[in-house]
Amino acid sequence: MNPLLVALLGVLLIPLFVATWRSSLFGLGCQGVLMALIARQLESTPDTVGDWLALVDLGVVRGFVAPLALYGVLRARKTPGRNDVIPPNLLSWTIALGMVLMSFSFAELLVADSGEQETLVAVAATGVLLGFLVLATQSDPFSQMIGALRIENSIALLELGDKHHDWPLAIQLGLLAVFLVTIAFFRGYLITLTSRRVGGVEESASVGEPTL
Amino acid sequence: MSSLALVLGPAMASLGLGIRRLRARATLILVATALVATVLAYVSALSPSTGPFLAGFVRVDATSRLFLAVINPIFLGISVYVWNRVATTPALEAGIGRFVALALTFLAASNAVLLANHLLILWIALEATTLTAAPLIVRRGVPASQLASFRYFLFSSIALALVMLGIICLARSIEALELQPTFFLDKLESVAGACANNWGKLGLALMILGLGTKLGLAPMYSWLPEAYDQAPPAVTALLGAIQFNVALVVLLRVVHLFRPVHPGLVTFELVAMGLVSMVVSTVSIIATRNMKRLIAYASINHAGVIAIGLGIGKTASYGLLLYVVSNAFIKAILFLTAGKIKAHYLTKDTRQIAGLLKELPYSGLFLMVGTFALLGFPPFGSFFGELLILSALVGSGHLFVFAAFCVLITMTFVATGRTIFPMIWGEPRHSHTWPRQTFLSALPKLFFLFALVVLGIYIPPVVNRLVQQVAASVEGP
Repeated sequence: MNPLLVALLGVLLIPLFVATWRSSLFGLGCQGVLMALIARQLESTPDTVGDWLALVDLGVVRGFVAPLALYGVLRARKTPGRNDVIPPNLLSWTIALGMVLMSFSFAELLVADSGEQETLVAVAATGVLLGFLVLATQSDPFSQMIGALRIENSIALLELGDKHHDWPLAIQLGLLAVFLVTIAFFRGYLITLTSRRVGGVEESASVGEPTL
Repeated sequence: MSSLALVLGPAMASLGLGIRRLRARATLILVATALVATVLAYVSALSPSTGPFLAGFVRVDATSRLFLAVINPIFLGISVYVWNRVATTPALEAGIGRFVALALTFLAASNAVLLANHLLILWIALEATTLTAAPLIVRRGVPASQLASFRYFLFSSIALALVMLGIICLARSIEALELQPTFFLDKLESVAGACANNWGKLGLALMILGLGTKLGLAPMYSWLPEAYDQAPPAVTALLGAIQFNVALVVLLRVVHLFRPVHPGLVTFELVAMGLVSMVVSTVSIIATRNMKRLIAYASINHAGVIAIGLGIGKTASYGLLLYVVSNAFIKAILFLTAGKIKAHYLTKDTRQIAGLLKELPYSGLFLMVGTFALLGFPPFGSFFGELLILSALVGSGHLFVFAAFCVLITMTFVATGRTIFPMIWGEPRHSHTWPRQTFLSALPKLFFLFALVVLGIYIPPVVNRLVQQVAASVEGP
């Protein structure tokens, strides 16, 4: 087993049990950095602009920009450290671990020859399923953002295993731009949604305001 | 080249709004750009289809021609509505520059989706429509609209993430046969047969689930009523009548490519999502007393009908397209009318509104006609569309689906009528004096109404040919 993929699996699981927003963001950052290292391992010498762009996307944008963008907001708000991304009970933990096992059986079914490719698919599938578990069990915007970003990262990991993923540069730039704007939006929503009270009284008062 | 101008024109106009002098004439620029785009869309629709150009990334086929001719005039109607609203409500002038810039980028991205011949370009353009629409949902000083905007953005991101995951799985399924994966739609037609393995099946299932979420289909539909309710009516019309169709075009393209490979999967997934959507929307229509939410749930119901029609394919395809095109005009009429009614009564509670035909004759009339079209009454296109889908259900032996469809449609009819009809014909509760409704304020909706009636009574041969071509591409074996 590739040690980087094992580390990635650990990074996907540990923040679910260490329930703080700092560990969630640290986990996201580690995912990005580990994926950049895996990409470097798969393509020993990045020789095209596209290869370098993929490394920047994984290592810099997903590894640092995305977690730091959200970290800045939560730190400025002095948000309490505790943040559960899945409910802290035995059932959720069992489901999470069950999903890991399911992902490995699923990868065995999909990938013909066992080895690194199978592990990569299994880890990516684990990331997607755990991301959905977070989305399904949490209503807090920050946790939901973490769930969505975990899914996005796992898709990027699956993309890495694609032997012919040399997409045109314009498309790579487009995809990177979309991800950066998504991060900017998440940051914006985190600022507005954590600073204002969302409730019925304000809403009913606003009905009289003219709108387009 | 006229088709490229449909993307570049609105994008340039949007960029132009960065200049302060132009921003002062934002609504005029909006209407002028929408008018030019509509003319260009009709030029494209009436011209023959072209093969891929611009390095293969752009293609104008029957599907793009039909939907360009639907979404651009609807955008024009919405632009005229916005222009009139701003002209009659000076308080709306603040921030209109931002609205117009985002709306024009939204139009450019929507046209790009229709013209794209590459799955990833299509994905980026569809995501761009989400990125421009999400800020438009937010109303200043209304926290609930921020939450609705977030939920819309989150669900759309997840939907498109699923689509991307599906695309990657499809690429892997092609790779499994040692073929070079391609994302060009025209080239995919020749290699789609390679996607018969498990990767291909998984990719297709994920793409349908993702696009279904973008259309507001169950199980991930909860963003839709919230976003449609909280967004300003013009934005709701953009989402319901334009973005819905743009996402649907992507689904039509996916179904066209992969139905021959996995016919059972396409039918099962779409019919299941469609039926569940119809069930949840019917229950919600019965329960709600909020005018905009009611139309939003009706949109989910319609999305369910469309999913069932698309899932069945075959003879349902023509009816499905008739239904889709009519549905776009119905939603535009109803959401803009709901905005007008809310602006007058200062409430969305259906129990507080009565006697619209007496108090707001234009709005009352539009709500009445829109509701009849919504419920699938003749002579509207939605009636014929629904009839053809029902007949295809019987013809293909899906009798359980047919029975469930009939029961749910009847329940929707009763629940919608029970809520909407007193609003139209009831006795006015308070004696208000309203400012006279101008013809200009009714013009966009009159145009939509005209299109709706034309689709039901006499479909011009050129439109009919286009609909038949698109239907042939999605009907399957």
